Amino acid sequence: MNKFLQRLIDIWEIFAGEVRYVFHDGGVLLLFFVATLLYPFIFAAVYHSEMVLDIPVAVVDQSHSAESVRVIRKIDATPELTVRYKCCTMDEAERLMREHRVHAVILFPRDYGARIARVETARACLFCDMSTFLYYRSVMTGASNVLVDEMKYIELQRCEQMGLTEADAEGQVTPIGYEDVKLFNAPGGFTSFLVPPLLVLVIHQTLFLGIGVLFGTARERQHRQRIPIRLRRGAPIRIMVGRALAYLLMYVPVVFIDLFVLPRVFGFPHIGSIGTLIGFLLPFLLATIFFSITMAGFFRERDTIIVTCIFFSVILLFLSGTAWPQSNMPAVWRWFSYLFPSTPAIQGFIRINTMGAHLSEVSFEYLLLWFQTGVYFFTACTSLRLMSWLRRKQII
Amino acid sequence: MKQAFIDTLRRELREFSRRPRYVVLLTLGLVFSYTFFLTLMHEGQPAKLPIAIVDHDGSYLSRRLCHEIEATQGVHIVAVYDNHAQARAAMQRQEIFAFYEIPENIYADLLAFKSPRISLYASNAYLMPGSFSYKSLATIGKLAAAAVQREVLRKKGYPEKQIMGIIQPVELDTHPVSNAETSYQPYVLTTVLPGILGVMTLLFTVYKVSDERKRRTMADWMRTAQGNVPVALAAKLLPYALWFSLLGILGNIILFYYARFTLLGSFFALSLMVVLLVLAQQAMGVFLAALIPEQHLSISVAAIYGMLSFTMSGFSYPVTNMPPFLQAVSYLFPLRHYYLGYVDIALYGNGVAYYWPVLVGFAVFLLLGMAGAVLLSRETRCIRAGICACSDSSNLDVL
Repeated sequence: MNKFLQRLIDIWEIFAGEVRYVFHDGGVLLLFFVATLLYPFIFAAVYHSEMVLDIPVAVVDQSHSAESVRVIRKIDATPELTVRYKCCTMDEAERLMREHRVHAVILFPRDYGARIARVETARACLFCDMSTFLYYRSVMTGASNVLVDEMKYIELQRCEQMGLTEADAEGQVTPIGYEDVKLFNAPGGFTSFLVPPLLVLVIHQTLFLGIGVLFGTARERQHRQRIPIRLRRGAPIRIMVGRALAYLLMYVPVVFIDLFVLPRVFGFPHIGSIGTLIGFLLPFLLATIFFSITMAGFFRERDTIIVTCIFFSVILLFLSGTAWPQSNMPAVWRWFSYLFPSTPAIQGFIRINTMGAHLSEVSFEYLLLWFQTGVYFFTACTSLRLMSWLRRKQII
Repeated sequence: MKQAFIDTLRRELREFSRRPRYVVLLTLGLVFSYTFFLTLMHEGQPAKLPIAIVDHDGSYLSRRLCHEIEATQGVHIVAVYDNHAQARAAMQRQEIFAFYEIPENIYADLLAFKSPRISLYASNAYLMPGSFSYKSLATIGKLAAAAVQREVLRKKGYPEKQIMGIIQPVELDTHPVSNAETSYQPYVLTTVLPGILGVMTLLFTVYKVSDERKRRTMADWMRTAQGNVPVALAAKLLPYALWFSLLGILGNIILFYYARFTLLGSFFALSLMVVLLVLAQQAMGVFLAALIPEQHLSISVAAIYGMLSFTMSGFSYPVTNMPPFLQAVSYLFPLRHYYLGYVDIALYGNGVAYYWPVLVGFAVFLLLGMAGAVLLSRETRCIRAGICACSDSSNLDVL
């Protein structure tokens, strides 16, 4: 019993030392508490409008027919597109496109109206700015909605002229209809899709870089005050538990604000049950902490980790399967992605938080996080032991 | 002055040969990034995305629909479920991105001209696969309707030529400018990879400058440069400017000549953009390092600022869609200027007459670097005067 109590006291001392240490380091505080709170606000401001709407387009109407004028009016009426310029020639429209004043040009050739009158397929040409995926996506959505509507309109008109009743005409024009339901993010908004994974990534990366900086500093200055003298020659498990507890408790409020409060304040998706999320995020934080401590073992100087690893945030985002689907990744990268706690965490968080999944639907990610926690705990203890052994050798 | 420049350059090269670790690590990181992005999205557009069918009908028609779906490039049926709940759960497990629900009696209703409806469910929690699989399935839906219509019209004895005109009165001929295959790769790679190079340059510069302060070699550095701060900075950063620019240009050779992304304008102009990006990031780095004397803070601040440049460059989410205040802020990021220059040069083949504002933008960053030099020279004056007040807060920490 005494021994047990002593161990608890050891853990407490390490815990308290670590917390003190963090609060004396401006750079780490900046990462832990400023970056984690600043980024969500920036994301909320940057992506506030979800959709790319009212994209300016130019039309070149060479047919001057009633049909083309009707389509132009419909294009202007879509939420996605706004007819900003009406040009006489393609050259004029091309110049507008080159100057980025419009992001799409729609051309109605001379025979547009005539072809419809002759019951032939009439063609309109769409030139689309490809500088951003979202321009292309919105322009295509707007234009194809107008197209579908216009086709149906013309067909119904013809049926009416043939003397069919409305119900018969409907049956002829759309023998099989389809209705689309977009789940979990009905408008297809960019914010609802990108912000949840970014929030998880921010937590992962600030924790990783912050811990790296803390360990690098300790190594650089040969600082060891944060470990009581009697524990310096071993007790890796107590040291690890004490430290992990310190980071974990510091990140509880951060995670609470970033993943629970702010999504509700800013209206990011949040249909997951809180209990499920808490259960899921615990192994995520633990796995990240032990992963970071393991990796921190490789860096001898304070700032090496930030300078050389910051670019990896971008790679982690793509590895997580949000931008590019996991099903279409080469197998090598899929396996590689399982090394990092951010991959299962982002996947699981999206599915619980955005899609309302339960732990049973994210069981693979959940087990992977616990598995990572176990493995990285072991590697972190080993690297700590290795380091103290190396240090002793150096000192002796 | 010439001598001072050469001496400082020599000093820096000696320094580099003693500790080449950072440059080696960053170069390896960049090589890794290029390999990663080029192999990750080699398909261009995600093909054969997993989808499912919920077939309540089990008729000739529903089977034919499945065959048609299987024949498309975009999607691939991985499962057939009995009910909606199963399919939805599969979506939450991310086994599928979309599913078709075919109602009961669809074939009978079709023959009776009752306009039956197929339901198409797509998950937009993952925007890209969601919208791609949606697009494929919606096309199939339209084609299925058109096939039935054609069959009816044929039976009515319309000539084949007229049938197309009846079924499809209007057609949209889409020309995606400079990305005919609508591949996802050019969107991402052309800006993200130079962006990674930029962030590396920024952080490395901050580190390099503040490291002199931390190791208390500032006085030595300035002495070598004969007290001329701009010369000291230029000589110190020149080798890295050359190296990172070279890497960026090599990267663009890979993107535009090996991966064959569209480049309508001149490669020389684009290379100039890379060099200006590297210089602008270095200038920003000098400014940050001079402004924030504590190395702890300056590197963390640079990291936070640097990572924002991906968002603010506007390559993924258009800047024109951000609030006006942030549209102005976006110009504080060199990557924004690089992106604008890239779009003008590569996608539109525009001349300088179109992209000169980008050059002005980069020039402003170089001025910011000069401001950093002024701050640094003030600091060195303090050191020489023996006051050591402004820089020593960091030096004390090292003790």
